[in-house]
Amino acid sequence: MTCDQINLRIDAVLDGDEAWTSDARAHLDTCSRCQSRVALAQGINRWLPQLPVDTPPATFTSGVMARVRRERWRAEQALDAGFNVAIAAGLLLIVAGVAGLAWSSGLIVVGADVVALMREAIAVTGAEIAPQLPTYSVAALLLTMGLGVWWWTEHANFER
Amino acid sequence: MSDTAERDLIARCRQGEDGAFRELVDQYKGLVFALVARTIRDPSRAEDLAQEVFLKIHRGLPYFRGDARLSTWIYRIVVNLCASERPSRDVPLDAGDEERPAWEPGGPDRAYGDVELRDRLDKAIRRLPAHYRVLVAGHYLRGMKYEDLAEALHLPMGTVKTHLHRAKRLLREMLEEPRPGSEQRTANSE
Repeated sequence: MTCDQINLRIDAVLDGDEAWTSDARAHLDTCSRCQSRVALAQGINRWLPQLPVDTPPATFTSGVMARVRRERWRAEQALDAGFNVAIAAGLLLIVAGVAGLAWSSGLIVVGADVVALMREAIAVTGAEIAPQLPTYSVAALLLTMGLGVWWWTEHANFER
Repeated sequence: MSDTAERDLIARCRQGEDGAFRELVDQYKGLVFALVARTIRDPSRAEDLAQEVFLKIHRGLPYFRGDARLSTWIYRIVVNLCASERPSRDVPLDAGDEERPAWEPGGPDRAYGDVELRDRLDKAIRRLPAHYRVLVAGHYLRGMKYEDLAEALHLPMGTVKTHLHRAKRLLREMLEEPRPGSEQRTANSE
């Protein structure tokens, strides 16, 4: 039995997970270095639970609550912004619908030139976008998958 | 805190009761702050990080299924947050300790030697690798059981014990380091 072998077992023995063999005991009886190591390990075991523990400042809880409120306010702001955008989009759709209805029923007259110009603009834009459509589709798919994986990992981290 | 009281507190937090979350913070701030302060090396970051832990708890409570104890779940959040803390933010360690002699048992003044050992141990813990610091802080300073540590870290209990033994061996080796220039202590046959 060597000092190194004893050294590897000291903490397991002191914690009650292992026991000294007769060889180890014989070595310990004569080796001052190992005896010193055991005494140091016992000192560490004695002092570890008694070391000073850091305590939070008195304002800690109020600080946490202030951060919670701030975070909630930001979340509500984001929700409000989304709601406002949705309302604006809805209003735009209603206005467009009413205008379309009025145009189709003849209440509003739009010149043939304007209609032709709009058709041409739509056709040109469509023709430019069409060749890139697979790229846009793949990019959108990857973005969706990325967001899905991010959401899943966040969700998994918080579970249990 | 009993299991029933803990479940009740979690339920009230989930309903958005600010008072309940305040209770939860009061209940666990000692544990969280002590663990964070022991695990990171820059004490000035402890309060900020400990508050961050509670923000994560607040966000995560709706997803907490209650399979583990709340303290175990909180410990895991502390471990993850401290692990994500960039090492470059760590402040330099106190070099003053290097000037002191190595610890020797049974010296002329045992009481003084013990107090000195405590001080040196306190500093040596800060020199441990982060994953050992958080284990030592959880088990020895906050009294967490092996089972709870194993559950929080997703490790077998035997591995947790082995890590704690290694951490203590490292601490011993740090405390045994002789001061520069001091005589090498005599060693028995190896």
